Amino acid sequence: MKILVAVKQVAALDEDFTIREDGRDVDAEFLIRDLNEWDDFSLEEAVKIKEAATDPVEVIAFSVGPPEVDESLRKCLAKGADRAIRVWDAAIEGSDPIAIARVLAAVTKREAPAMLFAGVQSSDQAFAATGIATAAFLGWPHAAVVSQLSYSPGAKSAIFRRELEGGLLQEAQIQCPAVLTIQLGINTPRYASLRSIKQAAAKPIETLSLTELDLAAGDVGEAGSASRVRRMYMPDKGRAELISGDVAQQAQRLAEIIREFKGAAS
Amino acid sequence: MSRTDAVTRILFEAFSTAEVRLFYALAYAAIGIFGYGVYVQIRKYRRGAALHLEGSPWARLRDMIAKVLNHRTIDRRDPAAGGAHRLIFYGFLLLFLGTATITLEYDILEPLFGIRFWHGQFYLIFSLVLDVAGAGLIGGLAYMMYRRGWLKLPKLDYARPDRAPGDPDYDRPQYRREDWAFLWVLLIIGCTGYLLEAARLVWLQARPEVWDTRWWSPVGALIAEGMRAAGMSAYGGGLLRLGLWWFHGILSLSFIALIPYTKVKHIFTAAGSLMVRDPQAAQRLPRIPENQESPGVAKITDFNWKQLLNLDACTKCGRCHEACPARAVGAPLSPRDVILSLREFANATLESGTLPAAAELDVHGKAPGQVAMETLWSCRTCMACVEICPVAVEHVPIIVQMRRKLVEDGAMDPLLTKTLQTIHKTGNSFGESKRKRGAWTKNLPFKVKDARKEPAQVLWFVGDYASFDPRNQKVTQTFATLLYEAGVDFGILYDGESNAGNDVRRVGEEGLYEVLANANVAALKQATFKTIVTTDPHSYNTIRNEYPDFGGNFQIQHYTSFVKELFASGRLQVTRPLNVRATFHDPCHLGRFNKGYEAPRDLLKLLGCEVVEMGRSRANSFCCGAGGGRIWIPDPVATEKPAQNRIKEAAAIPGLQVYVVSCPKDLTMFEDALKTTGNEGKFVVRELIELIREAIPAPRTEEVQV
Repeated sequence: MKILVAVKQVAALDEDFTIREDGRDVDAEFLIRDLNEWDDFSLEEAVKIKEAATDPVEVIAFSVGPPEVDESLRKCLAKGADRAIRVWDAAIEGSDPIAIARVLAAVTKREAPAMLFAGVQSSDQAFAATGIATAAFLGWPHAAVVSQLSYSPGAKSAIFRRELEGGLLQEAQIQCPAVLTIQLGINTPRYASLRSIKQAAAKPIETLSLTELDLAAGDVGEAGSASRVRRMYMPDKGRAELISGDVAQQAQRLAEIIREFKGAAS
Repeated sequence: MSRTDAVTRILFEAFSTAEVRLFYALAYAAIGIFGYGVYVQIRKYRRGAALHLEGSPWARLRDMIAKVLNHRTIDRRDPAAGGAHRLIFYGFLLLFLGTATITLEYDILEPLFGIRFWHGQFYLIFSLVLDVAGAGLIGGLAYMMYRRGWLKLPKLDYARPDRAPGDPDYDRPQYRREDWAFLWVLLIIGCTGYLLEAARLVWLQARPEVWDTRWWSPVGALIAEGMRAAGMSAYGGGLLRLGLWWFHGILSLSFIALIPYTKVKHIFTAAGSLMVRDPQAAQRLPRIPENQESPGVAKITDFNWKQLLNLDACTKCGRCHEACPARAVGAPLSPRDVILSLREFANATLESGTLPAAAELDVHGKAPGQVAMETLWSCRTCMACVEICPVAVEHVPIIVQMRRKLVEDGAMDPLLTKTLQTIHKTGNSFGESKRKRGAWTKNLPFKVKDARKEPAQVLWFVGDYASFDPRNQKVTQTFATLLYEAGVDFGILYDGESNAGNDVRRVGEEGLYEVLANANVAALKQATFKTIVTTDPHSYNTIRNEYPDFGGNFQIQHYTSFVKELFASGRLQVTRPLNVRATFHDPCHLGRFNKGYEAPRDLLKLLGCEVVEMGRSRANSFCCGAGGGRIWIPDPVATEKPAQNRIKEAAAIPGLQVYVVSCPKDLTMFEDALKTTGNEGKFVVRELIELIREAIPAPRTEEVQV
């Protein structure tokens, strides 16, 4: 019995970053990489199910990305994943969530798990699309933003709760295998000590290429994507000013500002 | 038989052969029971993990004997108890040596070689010495009884801060019973010794060699005179002697037999513990051996034999209980009780013939004998307990080793988890970008050298708090300015520096500590400098004492001693003496850990401050509560914080103007405590650096208002 957990190494902005020369992303030098916060929870959920099960359960963390991503996968191994898979090919560069989902679906078919977990969204791009798009490629039932899950490995279905707007909870049943995107707070992710991360280096990280997944270069990258980033930029800052003084002074300052603004506009 | 030959003590006179044989049978039985007990204890220690001790065993032995004989560790902070213990110790020692002397002649030298020496002048002096020893023993015991029974010292109260009343482990009345039994048995042995001596004198009053020399046993003779005055005959004395002889003998033999089974064993375990003492126990924590599967201590057998011996050395004197800042503010921790819990646990599991299953050896939890995680996380690793322990129990490494297991299991406060992840990611506990580490230098009117790019005489290791905390940044800028004005050639590592790891290691995250230490050692090795200077005592401790284990052997000074040298050489001069009433708070890692007590005080005097000491100062300084990673764990609301407790102590000094600290974390902790205790406006908290600046006003520099 397998549970697959799709994870992503996300980027956070460092101080004083600059935009890449092509204007479509931040210069990689100014990005700090880490495992996506949501994935901590989805992995923890899988590991908890494994630990509570009587029959052996294998938890497999997998990701799409260059060799640096191994660092995040090792964290997953330290937190209890049994093995990890990383898919990469230069052609994957520039993929949107749909193209990434195509790769994730290919790995999922290969592993044939009873469940596929993903985070609701990634903290850097926030599309909240990859998990559900993967379900579409697989043709599996899916549920998004799961905040509570009751599932025993091998069961034909699982019961889960989702948080809706206005404090409403929705409880539903889903047929397995299924794709669930997991919300923050569903559990308390465990701490991966540096020692366990170091020891996880002994666990295998399998690397797969596109051909091993029967995918062509055209299935991924910009060619396989439904969307494309045009540019990334910092919007001009607006301004605000607190006008103090008595009414006459305030009025005078207000008039000045209006004149200034008009002058600038004309 | 000559006249001097006759001057000796009769031993078995008037005893039948059967009676003598009975006595020897009892004596051998007592020694047998004693020997078995010793075997069980040694087997217990051997069930602990292996440990290789550094240094020469002879030096250790010498050091131990000196400490035992001079009693200095027992005198500290309780000279009355030290004095009484000294009386008991020397009384007991002399009486034991006396008995051993008799055995030496009567059972060994005389039957084997016909050598006799225990008579005549030697016997008389011997007799006098033992009489005085007995009086010392009884006097010491009487004071200890007075102390337990009447003084009711809080440190001798066994009620635990980590258990509620009603818990089977709450106040442990069996300890009180044992304490009293111990005192009474020794007292009765001592008193019956005198009575026995007096009865013998009365019985043998007709023999001039006995009666004429009676004043060589002054106490016995005095009692004998009393007995005679009360009308006791020689015959009556003989009968009394016979009864007391057996009573005293059997009680003494029982006492010896029971040594390994009762608190009396501290005679051996305390001495042993002193002998295996590590003077760097808290300053330099142990590494995790490469081949060890799980880090830290999960099972009682994960402790090494020395730590198991430490547990048995504890005499419940309560000095650590009294000194502990966590205990003082009602946190569920007493170092004494950690030790006693583990000792009970070790005794329950490791004294039996076969070792119980691994599951029964787990020391973590809430059952009797186990230690709760709340207890372990309450520790500030301030070393107050280790420092004051008279028998060299090393609590801090025991607690940190247990925390390593908790960290591995993730059993810690979520905020601490978050902080550790942040430190791993960014190399600092503030979650700031690495690039911003040197940002505080930007507003200075001069450039601070990048020590990675150009050589400097002094490498300043800045540390997290001094680099990122806005309040401390001002102090950091002031210190940089002082160095610049004094013409010191200094540089910093900028983003090459990471959190020094001192507190990360004390949290128990050894893996992360290794990453930080290795990164800093590598960065330091790439720079060219003569000496490291730091304003952060935490960084100071780990670089000085722990980096050598990671290949980093650097010369390092805390700024207080470095600046003192700048004054001594005239590179800095006081131009405006301060003339304020100040008290100095010794930071744990500068004072207790590294004995840097004098430099900051010398500086304060140099600046023209009147230094008034708080009650708890120097080695007994009271931790601000931020150590051991506690700065990253929120304190429970509505309870006193250690820093508040400390500020209240300072507030009691009449006319206090400045509370001086020399540690970035102290500045944060105590400025907060000053506000929350309502003492704001009465006196101020200042970093010593700020006072130096004020005493050396520089043009175009803002003055610190005191």
